[in-house]
Amino acid sequence: MEEFIEKLKLIKKGVDFENETELFDGGFLDSFDVIQIITMLDEDYEITVPPSEIVPTNFNSAKAMFAMMQRLEDE
Amino acid sequence: MTLTSLSFFAFVFATLVLYYIIPKKFRWIVLLAASAAFYGIVCLKYMPFIVFTAISTWLGALWLDKVANQRKAELKEHKADWDSDTKKAYKHKTLVNKRLILALVLVLNFGILAVIKYFDYISEWLSGFLPVPAISLGILLPLGISFYTFQSMGYIVDVYWGKTAPEKNFAKFALFVSFFPQIIQGPIAIYDDLAKQLYEGHDLQYENIKNGFILILWGLFKKMVIADRLIVILNAILDNRPGLYNFFGAIAILVYAAQLYMDFSGGIDISRGVAQMLGINMAYNFKRPFFARTVADFWRRWHISLCHWLRTYLFYPIAVSKAFLRFGKWIGSHAKKKDLPADSVWGGFTFIEHAGRVVPGCIATLLTFLIVGMWHGANWKYAGYGLWNGIIILVSMLLDPVFKYVINKTKIRTQTFSWRLWQIFRTFVITMVGFAFDIGNDMADSARMVLDCLNPLGRAASVPAELNIGLKISDYAVIVVGLMIVFAVSLYQERSQKSFRDTLGKQSIWFQWVIMLGLLLGVVILGMYGPGVAANEFVYMNF
Repeated sequence: MEEFIEKLKLIKKGVDFENETELFDGGFLDSFDVIQIITMLDEDYEITVPPSEIVPTNFNSAKAMFAMMQRLEDE
Repeated sequence: MTLTSLSFFAFVFATLVLYYIIPKKFRWIVLLAASAAFYGIVCLKYMPFIVFTAISTWLGALWLDKVANQRKAELKEHKADWDSDTKKAYKHKTLVNKRLILALVLVLNFGILAVIKYFDYISEWLSGFLPVPAISLGILLPLGISFYTFQSMGYIVDVYWGKTAPEKNFAKFALFVSFFPQIIQGPIAIYDDLAKQLYEGHDLQYENIKNGFILILWGLFKKMVIADRLIVILNAILDNRPGLYNFFGAIAILVYAAQLYMDFSGGIDISRGVAQMLGINMAYNFKRPFFARTVADFWRRWHISLCHWLRTYLFYPIAVSKAFLRFGKWIGSHAKKKDLPADSVWGGFTFIEHAGRVVPGCIATLLTFLIVGMWHGANWKYAGYGLWNGIIILVSMLLDPVFKYVINKTKIRTQTFSWRLWQIFRTFVITMVGFAFDIGNDMADSARMVLDCLNPLGRAASVPAELNIGLKISDYAVIVVGLMIVFAVSLYQERSQKSFRDTLGKQSIWFQWVIMLGLLLGVVILGMYGPGVAANEFVYMNF
């Protein structure tokens, strides 16, 4: 999880990924950031995020993203 | 029967009475009957089109569900005896089947929309340089075809993705496709957000009736008091433009922006108000767009439901597709790895690394905005409208780290009111350039209108035109005061992030009724009526 948060910080600097729970709904991340996160998941973790998973609840916190990652890994 | 006609409100009243007097369980049937009746009254001739969309989408969704259930059952049954390669091959086979079903429904429905909307224009355009005669299908646009097609296709994609369970009852699904308050000009709903609200019966609540009524009055005020006066000015300028000073082009663009916003958002307010009286919350379609600080921000505030649809079903699927991710990776692979500080020109990356990160999103943006443009009408100028917005967002995303670098180096204070004002002004000007594509005759004329603003006192024709707008001084006063009221309410909403109706609802009942009666009287006394203006349809009605 910590390593994952460090990677998120490289994508968008200055965002409180540890605590923020409204990353997408609160406007801290935009659609371009989401694409970059998905690219990072593909490159670094070999996880493919289908478009159906791109919903605010999956990107509103680092925890939610990590949970999505684990779910997709299991599938 | 337009949204501002007395017959529409009589229709709404009858629907409300019927809705609330019959048992809750059957209330959705009243909505379906009202929606079918509304469509039949307004557009009976083209009703087969919406029926076809409803049937084909409903059947397609059930078919997709059947394939998905079969797949699940087969995989469960052969969990032990199939090896991983067999499972993989079976999964691939069912995925191909699902894709074929989805493609069939999408091609059929978007095909109908494309043929009806673009065939005549493309045929005429081709006849200009090919030895073929221009053919006209002679079909007008069926009421709400763009809106119900997008809404239905969103549903089938959601079923394909497994996000939404398919509706088994055709009558219920037909209601989702045809719900009468939104059929004229949206907002385009997502199935999971709207369907349940349509199907469950709602209790009669004073708050819903009151808030819905205020929203309807507010919409009527924007449409009939402001927009229907502005359209008179706009038409007078556009009809005489060749003989007028060039600066009238700029005035036309500004008047158009205000007219379009008042017209479209006013119509949406009426639709949402009617739905709220029925206890149904429809999606927001506008969020004070002219307070936007970037073009991307503008498109998060303007025609929100269309933009949400395009982002969900077009932009993301393109941007995160394997091909696009590989393309981004391929660009990035050409970069020489350097350990750069975070405050360097490209935000801690080399230019090539940065390009690899954002180019896939940029291309998806351009394609999405091209579709946004083409959605607006059958004319190449609309492609220009889409591309203009797309290119601005593309450039701003590509150069985003450079802008931040320059701001950092020049120590511009970005948390100040003056900086925010500059951002709003800059976005406004860029948006106005885009609107020129809407009101110009074609792409070249639109570009000329914008370039003419650089030579405001020039004229296109040597003979000066007489500009007889036909409005009285009092009409201009009504427009100015009306726009100031809308601006004041918008400013309140923007600063407080609260609903004006919620704030009003906390005031004394007398004050609430004074405001409501004031709005009602304003619409009745100041609304534009009469043969010349009664024919004003909503701009987005013919989409």
